[in-house]
Amino acid sequence: MLSPRWRKMLRDASQHKSRTALVVVALVVGLIGAGALLASWALVRQVTAQTFIASRPVSATLRVERVDDALLASLRQMPQVAAVRARRVVYAGLDANGRRTRVQLFALSDWQARDIGQLRPERGSWPPQDGEIVLEPSSLEFAGAQFGQSVQVTIDQGASVTLPVSGITRDVSLAPGWMDHIATAFVTPATLARLGAPADFNEIQFVVRDTTLDRDAVRRIADEVRARIEQEGGRVTNIVVPVPGEHVHAAQMDSLSLTQGAFALMTLAVCALLVVNLVAGMLASQTREIGVMKALGASARQIGTLYAGFALALGLASSLVALPLAIAIARPYAAMKLEMLNFPIGGAAVPWWVLLLLLAAGCVLPVAAAAIPVVRACRLRAADALRDSGIVADGGHLRRRFVLPGISRPLQLSIGNAFRKPQRMLLTVLALAAGGAVYLGADSLRSGVRASVTQLFAGSRYDVSLHLSDGAEAARAERAALTVPGVIAAQALVSATGTVLHKDGLDGERFALVGLPPSSPLLAPLIQQGRGVAAGDGQVLVVSRSLLKDEPALVLGADVELRVSDRLSRWRVIGVVDVGPQPLAYVPAAALNAARGSELASILLLTLGTGDVAVQRETILRTRAVLATAGIAVGRSELVSEARRVFEDHLLMVVQFLGVMGWAMIAIGAIGLASTMSLGVLERTREIGVMRALGATDRAIASLVQFEGLVVAGLAWMVSLLLSLPIGQLLADAFGRVMFTVPMQPLPPARAALSWGLLLVLVSAIACSWPARRAVRLPAARVLAYE
Amino acid sequence: MNAISVSAPLIALDKVAKTYPGPAADFHALADIDLDIQRGDFVAVVGASGSGKSTLLNLLGGIDRASSGRIVINGRDLGSASERELTAWRGRNVGIVFQFFQLLPTLTALENVMLPMDFARLGSSRERKQRAQLLLERLQIADQADKLPSSLSGGQQQRVAVARALANDPPILLADEPTGNLDSRTADSLLDGLTELVRDGLTLVMVTHEPRAMARASRAVSLADGRIVQPERNHA
Repeated sequence: MLSPRWRKMLRDASQHKSRTALVVVALVVGLIGAGALLASWALVRQVTAQTFIASRPVSATLRVERVDDALLASLRQMPQVAAVRARRVVYAGLDANGRRTRVQLFALSDWQARDIGQLRPERGSWPPQDGEIVLEPSSLEFAGAQFGQSVQVTIDQGASVTLPVSGITRDVSLAPGWMDHIATAFVTPATLARLGAPADFNEIQFVVRDTTLDRDAVRRIADEVRARIEQEGGRVTNIVVPVPGEHVHAAQMDSLSLTQGAFALMTLAVCALLVVNLVAGMLASQTREIGVMKALGASARQIGTLYAGFALALGLASSLVALPLAIAIARPYAAMKLEMLNFPIGGAAVPWWVLLLLLAAGCVLPVAAAAIPVVRACRLRAADALRDSGIVADGGHLRRRFVLPGISRPLQLSIGNAFRKPQRMLLTVLALAAGGAVYLGADSLRSGVRASVTQLFAGSRYDVSLHLSDGAEAARAERAALTVPGVIAAQALVSATGTVLHKDGLDGERFALVGLPPSSPLLAPLIQQGRGVAAGDGQVLVVSRSLLKDEPALVLGADVELRVSDRLSRWRVIGVVDVGPQPLAYVPAAALNAARGSELASILLLTLGTGDVAVQRETILRTRAVLATAGIAVGRSELVSEARRVFEDHLLMVVQFLGVMGWAMIAIGAIGLASTMSLGVLERTREIGVMRALGATDRAIASLVQFEGLVVAGLAWMVSLLLSLPIGQLLADAFGRVMFTVPMQPLPPARAALSWGLLLVLVSAIACSWPARRAVRLPAARVLAYE
Repeated sequence: MNAISVSAPLIALDKVAKTYPGPAADFHALADIDLDIQRGDFVAVVGASGSGKSTLLNLLGGIDRASSGRIVINGRDLGSASERELTAWRGRNVGIVFQFFQLLPTLTALENVMLPMDFARLGSSRERKQRAQLLLERLQIADQADKLPSSLSGGQQQRVAVARALANDPPILLADEPTGNLDSRTADSLLDGLTELVRDGLTLVMVTHEPRAMARASRAVSLADGRIVQPERNHA
């Protein structure tokens, strides 16, 4: 049987059921947001661990001149090495259903290996047979191919070979095809030979025995492997050591999860403010009752337990509603994140500890939030509590009212009312302002991203880029292109792949080198630091920020040794550009030609006479045909407008999520305002009665409440503008870590600030409509008798 | 009874004063109060509004603390007790009837009476209910046991308040103008009940303005400006 004090608590809650329900709704919203994020994060981690780690990811890849069985056997003898395999990677063009994409073809020495870079066949046959191709699932849609159909694969100028798609096999160590804009497929060495590529292997991959080793330790082992290869008469030209146990996009995903987690905590903090307001309001209205209970022998602990129990019940009820919804949202969201990592979510379930943690958080949060007002109430001495005159209008802190000229008396009264409970008003303002700050911060970030993308593409004064598969003499390619109707400018550029030679003698990661003529009308990169390529320059580099991130030695003024087409040459860094996430360097075309020993251009930039994408596509097709007639093979072609859209969409996807978080926080803030206003109406019941007795109309009473809400909303607007600055910067920093540096405006855009202000007016009107209605419905006789 | 009380007063106040700090000057609610109350006394505390009657009652109930002086009740020095000890002591030793009843509005009459037993953890849940019913019967209000205070008359609410004050069977009952809001018939009936309790050994200290209540008291203590202003009068 429930004791009288607990029955009292239940009935008190049911007496204020609307306000209690509002807080439960706010808690539910907050817990759904935080829960979905936590559960999706846990799911991603779980699947990553189960799928990626279990696939025994490759510890290092060494490019070698030749690989034979004896060399592989020798490497397998090394105690630090657990497994070894050989492979060849060949880049080709893939045509399927009218779409042409770039594809990386993998040929492996051991298709069934389970101890190194394990592949997961998902459909069809495995391993690939001669004359067949097996596609990576994320490449299927990207390439426009279908299982069971045939695709045409072309390497450089070679003949197109038709290969049936005989299977679908996943490689979880790769980024999805749509993300890296390249398809992945598996073929046998014999198929490579049929395509005109070398059939022997030219890369060695191994897995270290000790999987706890860090990247430096693996690098040392890779160096030992290199020494063994050289001992056996081979030559290593490149070594790539990824971060052990970490997916290629894991850092970005963690950073994204961390940022989202921070906002989930912020949402919960806003919920906590509402609980503080609810419990504080409840305690304020029950001060005398607390005094009576104390006079009857209730200890501080008993009273504290009573109200903490109420908060706990709120949390428990909210958790029970929020948990299933959070889990339901978490799975598709985790699947989306996993798709970005190229993992299938499969049958993975949210771990039980997440459920327990969410339940605990849901229960503890309101109790913790209620702790301060509850402890304060418990410490109140019985005499002081009994002296309390019940629900008071001014909380004993009614300040001298300032008379504002030109403002009507009801509005002045509303302004005064808003400040009657400064602490409660502050919490309400903060709750609303936090949502607004995230809303404004996300808007600033969105503008920043768009501005950044515009800046990134500002130097691209062309409409389309064509990749010349085998290279071509620049002037000839340009002349041929200019014969095509619709092409108004053409420029051919030379490019190559380079690596930085590190002090330890090892090569770094590969990056693109683009040769620029002294003046390039179609490509003018925006220099961030130093200067750009100029006439008379020798072996100088203008590096992208992403390359600088990968190779910190490439600072302005540094002299570095590069390996370009297997030739070593010395270069000086003269400038830094921002070109997005792509690691590349601009160099003088003449210097690049000298370094690589070729003058053939591999990129052809075109400016077209129309902005119509359909017409642009037709022009590309015509240009391809003209170039083919001239004996110039064209691989990939890319519209700048399309590249920009895809790039912007990827970036804005993260911003959209933050916007959703902002909306959730605004909803919680609105609930907070509604709760505060209803409490205000309850506290001023007698005052409302007096005004009614003095002839106040329904409209006047409702206006008082609505005006008061607007005063709070106005304050929240101002605070949110201030808060949006650090929040916007925080978002920009987080975004910079995940994607690339985004310039933030010092103040939110006026348009965003204004739209947020209007939104706040709407939010306030909706939030205050219910308390205003209550105030209007109070009969004068009853409210005057109210104590 | 007198012999026992002379040798060991149940309530003893020695030079008790209560001062409230004020913005301009301190307010002396009580000053220099010396008072002994024997077990089984029915003491009426009288005086004008603001004379310190309710403050005196609050000090006797351990609800408030004296600014100076000593209050010893049933051998317990209230000044030396912590807030927690005072609360526990009050729950067992003092029953309080408030001027405006102060029943908890969301609890029924029966539940209001059970509440002090609940706080003091007296008996089982069933025993608490039985005792609460018994007390309501004794105060002739058992038929209203399941009603909320809002649906009871003033007299009925005051009876429930008295039953609640007696719930833990305290030796002392403090009542602040218990008949102040009742009609004469209801007030008489309530006073009859209280007088009967005093006859059964309860010590009653009642703040009152009512002559009919004073007439039933064994002693009257008159306060003015926080001091006892006239010799105590014995009725018994």
